Amino acid sequence: MRKKTRTVGKYEVGRTIGQGTFAKVKFARNSVSGESVALKVLPKATILKHRMVDQIKREISIMKIVRHPNIVRLHEVLASRTKIYIILEFISGGELFDKIVHCGRLPENECRRYFQQLIDAVAHCHSKGVYHRDLKPENLLLDSYGDLKVSDFGLSALLQQGVGLLHTTCGTPNYVAPEVLSNQGYDGAAADIWSCGVILFFIMAGYLPFYEIDIPTLYKKFNVQISAGQFSSPFWFSPEANSLIKKILDPNPKTRIQIEGIKKHPWFKKNYLPVKPSEEEVNLDDVRAVFDDIEDQYVSEQSVAKEGGPLMMNAFEMITLSQGLNLSSLFDRQQDYVKRQTRFVSRKPPRDIISSVEAVAESMGLKVHTRNYKTRLERISANKVGEFAVVLEVFEVAPSLFMADVRKASGDTLEYHKQFYKNFCTKLENIIWKPTEDVANPSVLRSLTC
Amino acid sequence: MHTLMGCFCLKKLGHKPGYEAPINLASETPFTVNEVEALYDLFKKLSSSIIDDGLIHKEEFQLALFKNSNKQNLFADRIFDLFDIKHNGVIEFGEFVRSLSVFHPNAPEADKIAFLFRLYDLRQTSCIEAEELKEMVTALLCENNMSLSEDVVDLIVEKTMMEADTKRDGKIDDEEWKEFVKKNPSIIKIMTLSDLKELTLAFPSFVMNSGVSDLQQPVKN
Repeated sequence: MRKKTRTVGKYEVGRTIGQGTFAKVKFARNSVSGESVALKVLPKATILKHRMVDQIKREISIMKIVRHPNIVRLHEVLASRTKIYIILEFISGGELFDKIVHCGRLPENECRRYFQQLIDAVAHCHSKGVYHRDLKPENLLLDSYGDLKVSDFGLSALLQQGVGLLHTTCGTPNYVAPEVLSNQGYDGAAADIWSCGVILFFIMAGYLPFYEIDIPTLYKKFNVQISAGQFSSPFWFSPEANSLIKKILDPNPKTRIQIEGIKKHPWFKKNYLPVKPSEEEVNLDDVRAVFDDIEDQYVSEQSVAKEGGPLMMNAFEMITLSQGLNLSSLFDRQQDYVKRQTRFVSRKPPRDIISSVEAVAESMGLKVHTRNYKTRLERISANKVGEFAVVLEVFEVAPSLFMADVRKASGDTLEYHKQFYKNFCTKLENIIWKPTEDVANPSVLRSLTC
Repeated sequence: MHTLMGCFCLKKLGHKPGYEAPINLASETPFTVNEVEALYDLFKKLSSSIIDDGLIHKEEFQLALFKNSNKQNLFADRIFDLFDIKHNGVIEFGEFVRSLSVFHPNAPEADKIAFLFRLYDLRQTSCIEAEELKEMVTALLCENNMSLSEDVVDLIVEKTMMEADTKRDGKIDDEEWKEFVKKNPSIIKIMTLSDLKELTLAFPSFVMNSGVSDLQQPVKN
């Protein structure tokens, strides 16, 4: 008998590769691109019965936010009358956990690479305000290149709850930070870092630093040993690895090392290559992406730039700057609407505009980076609070008339508008052109838009 | 009997007048049924921001674009007029989906170029006149609180007309427009909304209301 290929949307559904309490995971193939995917099937009845609708929506939003090369990617969500389908990147290499179980502990260099990738992924999520809260080797997958992918970021809670509340509270306590177990309010970032430390210990040692089969003993151990910072590393750990692990497995979340500290640690820094965000992510909140995007828009496509001068902007290009033509604001779910872009006109030579901008930015304590007639201004802070980046570019709109386009590339929009832009413009007063004697016919202006 | 059933279904699902079935809209546009269902979620939000009548009024459109329902803007007006295919002063769900489909990353470029031409042809003369371009440049400058003297505005318009109006008749026709866009592709960037690529992730509420029959979703690419 010939087997029928079942399809969901553009996906040809194959064998079942996993079965959870709420979801079945199937192998599937995108019939358009040929790409392999993992298809999670959730029956709606179950979702309704367990009142998980809002949770599902929240988890989908989280997965959409936390895109990173070391995080399993959520491609799409589909639905039919009775089922919800979550389409995820298919990871072929299996769990890191199984690798340790089958092959034993890993060499220190390999552990370092996995740990660097793990920290990169976790740092990325934390910068977006997302905490995993259930990091463990079973949630770390390996792709066909041997790169690490954190799975269930966001969906973990959803799928884990299946084993009932029992599972969430007792969970995988061997990886859970002491402050989480002691049931006090806790800092998600510090708790994730603890779990990363346990994972690092586990892959380097081949066994867990804190392991007890039953919860009461584990609790006791936490109280006695862990609270005192007692665990013993095997002799093969290098002194530097040991020093880092000690700083991570600090029972006090307040003194525990943070992401920045880990990234500065000599053991971590060895052979560290920060991952490049993939170029397809053109997201307004991503500094690099925006920088590149602006470049695309005006540099690569506009080769008509005058030798050595700023790029020319024609009348239609000017028009496209209108907020009225920017329909992406229809999709803006956040209510933080403040214009992301602002412009001013100057009659000063473009070189002078750029050097004034640089001087003002430096006086405001911003880091400045200029290329041609484009300048990136950044405020960097240790704790990420108030951090933002702005890109300014000068265009020629008419002979000896220039327009500076200032757009926020990352950071909090309100912060940008309130604190940065106004202050910035006040300081640039001497280069911003405001016609005095020959004001444009005001009646023309008023009749049009004002 | 059929009509009665129709009424019953409408009522049961709580759809407002002007609603069209996602399956029909999906067959005419690059969107899948699920994507149209996700767009309905956005449409519901936009069409109920002031009056919950299942229609997007001008004020609601302005509210979404500028977070200010009274903010008049020449370009927003033009977009609204083009979306309002039936010219009855409101945007219905079907009009919303069909119009947005031009902004889909997979929509034909020719459609995007033509849409923008119609948008800039303020007086619907099938040409963009120098006068219209001037009006739009002035509106843009005003929107950004940049006042330039009239002769500077004239200069900016003239320069662009020199490049675009190759037949030198003071207006840009359809043919000249296509040529001009080919040379300045950044102009049609606004005609592609990357937001339309991941609708199902952006508006996941549809998952609970989807009417797609199981395992029979049509393939789109």
